[in-house]
Amino acid sequence: MKFSVTKEKLLEGLQQVQNVVSTRTTLPILSNVLLQASGNEVHLTTTDLDVGVRGSFEAQVEKEGATTLPARRLFSIIRELPSSEIQIDVDGKNAASIRSGQSFFKILGLPEEEFPPLPKFENSKDVTIRQKDLRDSLRKTSYAISTDETRYVLNGVLFSFKENKLTLVATDGRRLAMADIELEFPRSHEADIIVPTKAVTELQRLLEEDGDVKVSVGSGQIAFDLNNTLLVSKLIEGNYPNYRQVIPSETKERVTLEREIFLNSLRRVSLLASDKSNSIKLNFSKNNIDITANTPEVGEARESLPVVYKGRDFSIAFNPEFLMAPLRNLTEDEVFLDLIDEMSPGVLKIQTPFLYVLMPMRISS
Amino acid sequence: MDEKCNQIWQKLSVALKPQVSADTYKRWFSAVQLTSASKDSLTLRVPNNIYQFWIESNHMPALEAAIVSTFGGRRTVKFLCAVEDGSVAEQAERSDESKSPSASERKQDGSALGLNPRNTFESFVVGPNNEIAHAASLAVAQSPAKTYNPLFIYGGVGLGKTHLMQAIGQYVYGGKKNSRVMYLSSELFINEFIDAIQHNNLVKFRKRYRQADLLLIDDIQFLGGKERSQEEFFHTFNTLFDGHKQIVLSSDRPASEIANLEHRLVSRFEWGLTAELQPPAVETRMAILRKKARTLHIKLRDEIFDFLATRIRTNVRRLEGALMRVASFASLSGKELTQEVAEHLLKDILQEEARRSVTIDQIQKRVAEHFDVRIADMTSKRRPANIAFPRQVAMYLARELTKASLNEIGDAFGGRDHGTVLHACKLVKRRMQEQDKIRQTISFIDSALQR
Repeated sequence: MKFSVTKEKLLEGLQQVQNVVSTRTTLPILSNVLLQASGNEVHLTTTDLDVGVRGSFEAQVEKEGATTLPARRLFSIIRELPSSEIQIDVDGKNAASIRSGQSFFKILGLPEEEFPPLPKFENSKDVTIRQKDLRDSLRKTSYAISTDETRYVLNGVLFSFKENKLTLVATDGRRLAMADIELEFPRSHEADIIVPTKAVTELQRLLEEDGDVKVSVGSGQIAFDLNNTLLVSKLIEGNYPNYRQVIPSETKERVTLEREIFLNSLRRVSLLASDKSNSIKLNFSKNNIDITANTPEVGEARESLPVVYKGRDFSIAFNPEFLMAPLRNLTEDEVFLDLIDEMSPGVLKIQTPFLYVLMPMRISS
Repeated sequence: MDEKCNQIWQKLSVALKPQVSADTYKRWFSAVQLTSASKDSLTLRVPNNIYQFWIESNHMPALEAAIVSTFGGRRTVKFLCAVEDGSVAEQAERSDESKSPSASERKQDGSALGLNPRNTFESFVVGPNNEIAHAASLAVAQSPAKTYNPLFIYGGVGLGKTHLMQAIGQYVYGGKKNSRVMYLSSELFINEFIDAIQHNNLVKFRKRYRQADLLLIDDIQFLGGKERSQEEFFHTFNTLFDGHKQIVLSSDRPASEIANLEHRLVSRFEWGLTAELQPPAVETRMAILRKKARTLHIKLRDEIFDFLATRIRTNVRRLEGALMRVASFASLSGKELTQEVAEHLLKDILQEEARRSVTIDQIQKRVAEHFDVRIADMTSKRRPANIAFPRQVAMYLARELTKASLNEIGDAFGGRDHGTVLHACKLVKRRMQEQDKIRQTISFIDSALQR
């Protein structure tokens, strides 16, 4: 195999796939990237057996062929190369010679045959989504994924295809984020699947502003085809909990808040929320919210926020990080906060179908 | 019991209601049932896992406060998810569907799991020496986590521990492709643990092990003395055990005799079924040889089989090695094999056999038996004369009959240092010179061990 390519193209190609590379040391082949040169492009594939990514870059291919090379090492070499023109020549024993300007590197790879192939999809159910829609919805939900490995069904985002709607849900038991995407698909494609965190993170990296993504759901696995890049992942087995149970059915008070202003106030006040109690209090009174935090032996912070509010006076406490997370990831100017009382969950909403349920903290007073 | 539980739950509810909002109570606690209550734990049945997740995350302080005010003390709360019939069927269906693609991806035979495809139940030769271990393994493989959990297999080198464990792994893996089978040696477990600490990804490490449906750990005795690894393994063990996942362990000695293993681990290892593998009797050795010869397409005269089976008695691996050596000589030289030729070929093995490697364990056992002390006394810290002297004799024999270093011997005797062992050897030697009776005793034990 032999090809020439510009440094930028090769780096870009490697960046797309290298995050998947396994850190597990038991199977050395998994820390390698598969390179396949044919026509005028080179395909790159990496996998950790759970998630796999396949991308490509344009190159002048002089001799077609395939090999695998240690991904991290290759990436760090390419990044440091002095010239923009790179020539890679791989001999029959999978030793790659990399030439660029005055530099020469030789790195040893492993044969292509040892590289586990990405799973094939047969009889998969395909749905096409606009990349922007999926990216935005993932952004609005993925921060709520649980990292508690004992609740492994929560270590991912639920993709619920139902009634011409794709609902994305993530929860960690204290908060729940949910976003809908309107879609057209046949009844037979209805399904609930859980996409693991790693795949979600990688997917968010790959999704762009324009274009479509083809989602193929096979049994136990899912593929996202983004024109020139393919991401394949195993699904988390098990049933996602019945998240609708969490969503309050009623609401007593609603306040409309300017997202940026509210977020900035929270950020300032939370500076004085201690790690231990880590709560921030919202005190509601007529047309005003007082946001307060106080830590014994450290100090306190207070900020008032004028709002339109005509309900009863009451206080509710939240974990500031949990309250700020959705505000950071939304793009809308206005958000609505629906509350019932100081012990019931608060719900954050926007104009479009999105919902964030957050449990209050107990106020010790 | 149900009546009583209902009453307790009623009482608990009264205490709980003021702690949470009315909506919360209705939403999360009205569907909860108390299924069992003991002095230190309560089991709550919830309709599905969201109840468990949400109550655990948000309402535990309230629930605990209610428990304290009702019972006047703390109780551990366990949750039981009532699985809806529909979802079970759905799950079963899904696993059927997924068989074809995910199976091809994982490779058919489970060799990706590090299992040797030759090590199956079919290729295991059962004899009176390993009957129980085989039966227990098969029972475990047929219904994991239902019968014996954990299953602890122990026996000397080359008696089939690994074979049985891999057979369980392949049986379970072959039966249901979606089950997560993990097979590894304790050494690999330790290495990966160290690796995880180094690269700061313990979470991932835990996730890998704690999601297994079947965890097989070979040569668990190497955990001895590795404290952090033991602790990690302890938690892994508990998680899996509580989740009704099967655990199978193997070791070269009983759990209680593994040096420097924490008591809580020892007691857990002894919890399920412990099965011992003993060296095979001559008939079994014969059967093993014939089976092996058949699979390798080796043809030998009966007298050669007989010769091998009677002369090599300690170790199945060595037995197979000898068979290979004899067979390869026959096929390479084309000469007819006679007993003399075989004897010549296997000179080194037979010599070694004659001397018969003795392990420290055997010495301890034998000596303890002879002096009528408990085997645990060999490793204990107590040192009244009636225990100390047998222990010293055992140390002396270990020095004479095994290749173990002073340090290794010290470790095997409850972590004593090499000076202690050296002292014991000198002392026993001196007393052997001084007293005939002691010399006789020791030479008797010696010959019994070398038998």
